Amino acid sequence: MFRDFLALAGASIAHRRMRSWLTVIGVFIGITAVVALISVGLGLERTIDQEVAKLFGVDTFILMPRGAFGRPGAARTSANQFSLDLAWLRSVDGVRTAAAVRQQTGFVEGPAGEDGRRVRGFFPVVGLSPELITEFESFLGTLEVAPGGRLLTAGDEAVAVLGHAMARQMTVEPGDTITVQGDADAEPLALTVVGILSAQAQDTPQQPAFAPGVPDSPDTIFIPYETMGLLWGRAEDVRLTLVKTDPGRDVNEVAARAEAHLRAQGTEVSAVTYTDISEAIGTVTSTVSAFLAGIAGISLLVGGVGVMNTMFTSVLERTRDIGIMKAVGASNANIMTLFIIESGLIGLVGGVVGTFLGLGVSAVTSAAIGRVFDVHVAVVASPMLIFITLLGSFTLGAFAGLWPARRAAKLPVVDALRYE
Amino acid sequence: MNVLQLKGITKEYQLGKSAVHALRGLDLDVGQGEIVALMGPSGSGKSTLMHILGALDTPTGGTATFEGHDLQQLEERRLVELRGHKVGFVFQTFHLVPTLSAQRNVELPMVFSRIGKRERARRAQELLKRVGLADRAKHKPNELSGGERQRVAIARALANDPPVILADEPTGNLDSETGNSILDLLRRLCEEDGKTVVLVTHDPEAAAIAHRIIRLRDGRVVEETRNV
Ligand SMILES: Nc1ncnc2c1ncn2[C@@H]1O[C@H](COP(=O)(O)OP(=O)(O)OP(=O)(O)O)[C@@H](O)[C@H]1O
Ligand SMILES: [Mg+2]
Repeated sequence: MFRDFLALAGASIAHRRMRSWLTVIGVFIGITAVVALISVGLGLERTIDQEVAKLFGVDTFILMPRGAFGRPGAARTSANQFSLDLAWLRSVDGVRTAAAVRQQTGFVEGPAGEDGRRVRGFFPVVGLSPELITEFESFLGTLEVAPGGRLLTAGDEAVAVLGHAMARQMTVEPGDTITVQGDADAEPLALTVVGILSAQAQDTPQQPAFAPGVPDSPDTIFIPYETMGLLWGRAEDVRLTLVKTDPGRDVNEVAARAEAHLRAQGTEVSAVTYTDISEAIGTVTSTVSAFLAGIAGISLLVGGVGVMNTMFTSVLERTRDIGIMKAVGASNANIMTLFIIESGLIGLVGGVVGTFLGLGVSAVTSAAIGRVFDVHVAVVASPMLIFITLLGSFTLGAFAGLWPARRAAKLPVVDALRYE
Repeated sequence: MNVLQLKGITKEYQLGKSAVHALRGLDLDVGQGEIVALMGPSGSGKSTLMHILGALDTPTGGTATFEGHDLQQLEERRLVELRGHKVGFVFQTFHLVPTLSAQRNVELPMVFSRIGKRERARRAQELLKRVGLADRAKHKPNELSGGERQRVAIARALANDPPVILADEPTGNLDSETGNSILDLLRRLCEEDGKTVVLVTHDPEAAAIAHRIIRLRDGRVVEETRNV
């Protein structure tokens, strides 16, 4: 029965070839727009995911003061530093390595100038784990040393790297010695300057070093994390911790465990992984894709009204045929089925053409976006998207045909036959 | 028992303020196995009457019964079955589906009565052969002459082997030789298969195959003659 109706519908579509094609065009323009926009949206989302994972590392998480990262407007704690036992963190199951950043303000004294005077004052002092430089390179940003110096390395003790403004102010060169006074009751330490940050790199930041909140100003003194302990004792002034997990471990699970443990001890930290970051970006991009899909939906609606119009005139033209079919024993249900199949087929053909065209447009757009932003934008052709599109276009066509078909089927047979 | 029965049938068409009375109180009985010829001038209501008999139109007044069932009381489902299985209708203007070939037009009633594809094709070809159109099976209606279309319409009316055949001027477009073969076919269907036939004609020669001739004028029966 269904195959017979399919054949009847096919004969009618083929008979009105020109009009059928025009209708198909009306449908596939809408479908093309929808598929292209959704596909580009999904592709961008996936690309952002991949870029974030690449930059951030799928095995890395950050511990930062609670509220420093998250939804805008989320409650921020007033403290932006927290206490941390780095040795404990390194011993957590699943943690491969960890690096932390501490910050204090210290009383610094430069070397004696030619006139015997020393520049002294309070300056930001930042303690860096050497692992930060060896293991978390992508987080270093503008931390670049001018020629003749070096960055901190593992095993360093009483050394310092200076911001360029500070170095100029104190007229310090690599090899000179400065003294830093930590806690009032601690002995001042003499530190050998091993490097000075490149002024050029530091003043033209492409991306900020570290996470937001960690000073990177030209008058900062960078010293080894261990040396911070000699000056200020236990680490209660950590701004940021970077953690790498063992290969194969679920970074989110390890991060959640570390976060829960620290919070239980009263340390208000948030663990942030690459999924958190891409989710945060994702809420923005999915709003954009939803907006694009909305626009596409409107064009689909226009296409749907077009199908409706075409189906309606097509049914009007075929009122006499409907009369004939009813005269030879077709029920109203038969007539409606026939026309739903006919308009559904038109919708489906439009859907198939539109899907392929849409994917093509998406591929071209993605390539263009990729060229502009110098990334590889994935073309997403998910089977789900294709299936839903085809089902949707068939349904759209079928529904567009339903109403006029119903109208024609309800006509008295003789009236239908007499229709000119 | 009478297969078809009309009692006091009237049919009015409202055209603006004036009414056209196509049928003005008409009685008619057609018995099983009978051939009845309807004659009358153009506009006398013959086609209107045929449509009412075939459950394709409803009268303004009076009752029309088919095999004892009041057509106005039948549910839609039964009317569909009646049009598909009980009545074969040959329209004055043929009414073939323009998008379908001759054979597929003949197959159409069998599609809606769910007869298998192969059986359908076999029967359609056989019927086309009986009306002398075996070699026109693949032609679309607009590739056929008027007489050929008329014969396709006759073949289609016979598709579901209905007990009642209502033919509105079935020989109107045919030469006398082809016309005679169609009349012969109708007569044989009546004599051999016991079918009931009502045909409209202007041709006395066609009317000669009928058992009874009924003459209409202005929507009324004006004369009834019995052939012997
Ligand atoms: N839909 C309609 N609206 C108005 N008047 C109609 C309609 N159908 C038929 N009539 C009128 O009813 C009358 C009978 O028409 P009908 O078609 O039954 O005549 P007929 O006897 O079959 O004529 P012919 O021999 O020319 O086919 C005519 O006067 C016609 O004008
Ligand atoms: Mg007529």
